[in-house]
Amino acid sequence: MTAANAAAGVLQVAAVGIAPLLPGTIQTVKARLQGRRGPSPLQPYRALRRLWGKSAVDPEGTTAVYRLAPPVVAACLLSALAIVPVAGGAGGWGLGHDALVLAGLLALARFAIVAASWDSASGFALMGAARELMFAVFGEALLVLALLLAALPAQSTDLVAMADAAAGTAIWAAPAHWCAALAFALVILVETGRQPVDNPDTHLELTMIHEGPLLEYAGRDLAYLQWAAAARHWVVLVLGAELFLPHGDGFAGRVGVLTLTLAALCLLLAAGETVQAKMRILRVPSLIGLACVVALAGAGSWIAGVGV
Amino acid sequence: MGALAATALTGAAALGVGAIGAALPRRLCAALTLQAVGIALLGVAGAAVLLSGDAAGAAFTSDLAPGLGIDPLSGFFLAVLAITAVPALVFARAYVPAGPAPRAVGALTAAFLLALAGVLVARDVTTFLASWELMTLVPAAAILAARRDAAVRAAVFAYVAMTHVGGAGVWIALLTLAAHRAIGDPAALAAAGAGVQTLVALAALVGFGTKAGIVPLHSWLPRAHPVAPAHLSALMSGMMIKVALYGLIRVVFEWLGATPRWLGVTLLTLGVLSALGGVLWALVQQDLKRLLAYCSIENVGVVLLGLGASLLFADAGERLWAAIAFAAALLHIANHAIFKVLLFLAAGALERAVGALDLDRMGGLLRRMPQTGAAFLVGAMAIAGLPPLNGFASEWLTLQSLAHLGFGGPLGIALTGAVGLAALAMTAALALLCFVKVVGLVLLGPPRSAAAAAAVEAPAAMRAGMLALAGLCIVLGVLPGLVLPPLAALAPGGDRVPLGHHAGLLLPGTGSFPGLALAVALLVLTAALVALRGTRRAAPQPTWLCGQRWTPQLNWTSAGFTKPLRLVLDSVLRPRRELEVVYDRGTAQAIRYSAHVPALAETLLYDPTVRAGLRAAALTRRLQTGNVRTYAAYLLALVGGLLVLVASGALG
Repeated sequence: MTAANAAAGVLQVAAVGIAPLLPGTIQTVKARLQGRRGPSPLQPYRALRRLWGKSAVDPEGTTAVYRLAPPVVAACLLSALAIVPVAGGAGGWGLGHDALVLAGLLALARFAIVAASWDSASGFALMGAARELMFAVFGEALLVLALLLAALPAQSTDLVAMADAAAGTAIWAAPAHWCAALAFALVILVETGRQPVDNPDTHLELTMIHEGPLLEYAGRDLAYLQWAAAARHWVVLVLGAELFLPHGDGFAGRVGVLTLTLAALCLLLAAGETVQAKMRILRVPSLIGLACVVALAGAGSWIAGVGV
Repeated sequence: MGALAATALTGAAALGVGAIGAALPRRLCAALTLQAVGIALLGVAGAAVLLSGDAAGAAFTSDLAPGLGIDPLSGFFLAVLAITAVPALVFARAYVPAGPAPRAVGALTAAFLLALAGVLVARDVTTFLASWELMTLVPAAAILAARRDAAVRAAVFAYVAMTHVGGAGVWIALLTLAAHRAIGDPAALAAAGAGVQTLVALAALVGFGTKAGIVPLHSWLPRAHPVAPAHLSALMSGMMIKVALYGLIRVVFEWLGATPRWLGVTLLTLGVLSALGGVLWALVQQDLKRLLAYCSIENVGVVLLGLGASLLFADAGERLWAAIAFAAALLHIANHAIFKVLLFLAAGALERAVGALDLDRMGGLLRRMPQTGAAFLVGAMAIAGLPPLNGFASEWLTLQSLAHLGFGGPLGIALTGAVGLAALAMTAALALLCFVKVVGLVLLGPPRSAAAAAAVEAPAAMRAGMLALAGLCIVLGVLPGLVLPPLAALAPGGDRVPLGHHAGLLLPGTGSFPGLALAVALLVLTAALVALRGTRRAAPQPTWLCGQRWTPQLNWTSAGFTKPLRLVLDSVLRPRRELEVVYDRGTAQAIRYSAHVPALAETLLYDPTVRAGLRAAALTRRLQTGNVRTYAAYLLALVGGLLVLVASGALG
């Protein structure tokens, strides 16, 4: 293993700790943009510490499925962190770096939390779960199409090779790359549950999507789930930066540019949440469908050799 | 006679004796055990041929004289048949004696297995077609022996009628091949010209496609599969449609010669239609076994995606990916057979325990039937394509094949690959939605009926069959790399592709899927997180409902959970709702609400066809007036017409 890969491996482990900073930053920037002082970017850490000290509560009549869901979700996201390369490198964790395996892990996490919603039989949890899975039906198609577009230059679904193929400026001459970036932007919104797809700040049960299935959890269970939501931000934002946005030169340069890109993406998400209201739920699939068409057009343009 | 032939023949003989024994009074359990031994021996013979790569017995012949033999492809299917049939027969030991008409069902089970094996080992047209027809008729007989109500008779009629009309395609394809002496000889058909090749390809698609349940020829499948006894439903959905795919693979990949490109695109298109159509209509089913039957259509679609991709890769000269895509299809055939048999057996056990298959009348069964429930959960997760179970391994391979189809080649082919990729991803997400709903409604939450609250665990033999299959789902998901090279070698020209032996799937052009490492990582991380969490828990509390008390009416239903998707896909699913309010003296006394989603293929395709057929029949009836003078006029017209033809010299 090269020194750069070892360093990238260290960063992948560090991501476990860094991930909550991403939603924290978004919340802070959003508050400032709205003219409020808002919480510090470290607020998610405080929330996690508070939850860690509290005891968990099970709803009456639940089974092991309910109790196992938070650790399973967190384990899926931990494995996903090992699969996603950082700054074009990755430690040798033995889990491979396949884009489609990553999609499978995210699906397993989704299954676990929705099964837990059924176990608690909570109407609000299931309402959110049903909506989230409805988005996922279209979101999954968009995700693989965006990944296919990113895989085209590398001719491989290996995330490390895909990240390397996205380096340099030549790639920006291809319309396919722009289509891919556009499609993946929507994937980020769907996977992180940000406006206009979902409102992460809602406290009204009837409007909850991602938050709904978390309603019954407390204590360390909830801490795992909130950490997993933050890790999901890390996975899709780092993927977006690595596969679709400019890279720096050399390992240090790449880490520097990645840090700046992540900060810029957080800013963009916060700005988007400030200017954009939540969409009607039933409109979201049309938006995703449109992005799928854009992605297919991008694939067509690449195969036809436009700008390649 | 070699040891292999002896093993296979002993197996067949044991099945035959098992059939007779089951029909005798008080020998049913022993006979079912003997049948399991027989099919296991056949499977051992098949696996030996698959692993050694040397065919045993007769070779394929275009003559009509009967011949039997096993080559590696037959061997693979025989092995899958045995792997699924043995647990199903173990299950049947406890299931059949307590059910209706046990002796007839027990004997017909062996006959069905013999017919399935017969299709697989047939080396000539006569044996193949005879076994093929038996394979269709025996389950129909078993269903009619076990159930006698009118609805079931109608379902069986639809099954027999559709598979026979469609099955004509099988006869046309095979007899044309035999007439051109092309069975087992791809060069012969190439010499016969493109017209004959197209005829054979289309006839095979219709014939085998009807039996495999390819959309839009699938309509019989969700009617017939659910009404059979559980172990036969399992074998029908798990194996019978796979044997149809075996026939399709034989004709298209081995006997057709150089396959035209349109055939690959057609297979991909049918695959997308079947995968999406199957899972969409599975989502809106209320009956568990019907839902599983629709889901079989989805999985046949996934297999077709792999087969179509393989044809297109072969056309483009990419031997490695042609072999991988072919292996993906075969692996999915095996995987689907395993988890579908498991799910149908579990559905049978649940039906015995609860007395119904209505999804909204189960609930909370993981607590009352922990082992059946755990096996069902594993099967549901496998069919939903979740890592690290076997469904994910084959879907990952299929997704990779479609992605690599999109990487290059002509624009149209590459875009077809991209669309297929997106459709398969969507199918996987829909399957997840479908099966998390099933798991939730059946296994989790509060009991949804008094019968579900009083359910007891299934007998040991039934549990053993299901748990063995659940174990296979895990093993094949964790170690898919072990079976990949022998399966890839079955592709035409696949024995020369370089595929190393690994436990995981390490393929060029992918980031690799190390199943074992991923499973261990998930297991260790989950265990560590559970340990880290500690055991500090407050007393259980009621679920939060904005302060209301929970009542059974607040239970989330199957229809409620799929409502968002039904609203979005309203124009595709076209749900029908009926609201009936009974008024008495100005006040509403009762409100009846019913909603269902009709099968689109029936409203768009079958109903108009049936109506047109009936109208044509009515028109023909006008000729039959019953009046003697009219018939005399017909005769006169006929003679006159013939005379005119003779006079004009048209008859020579």
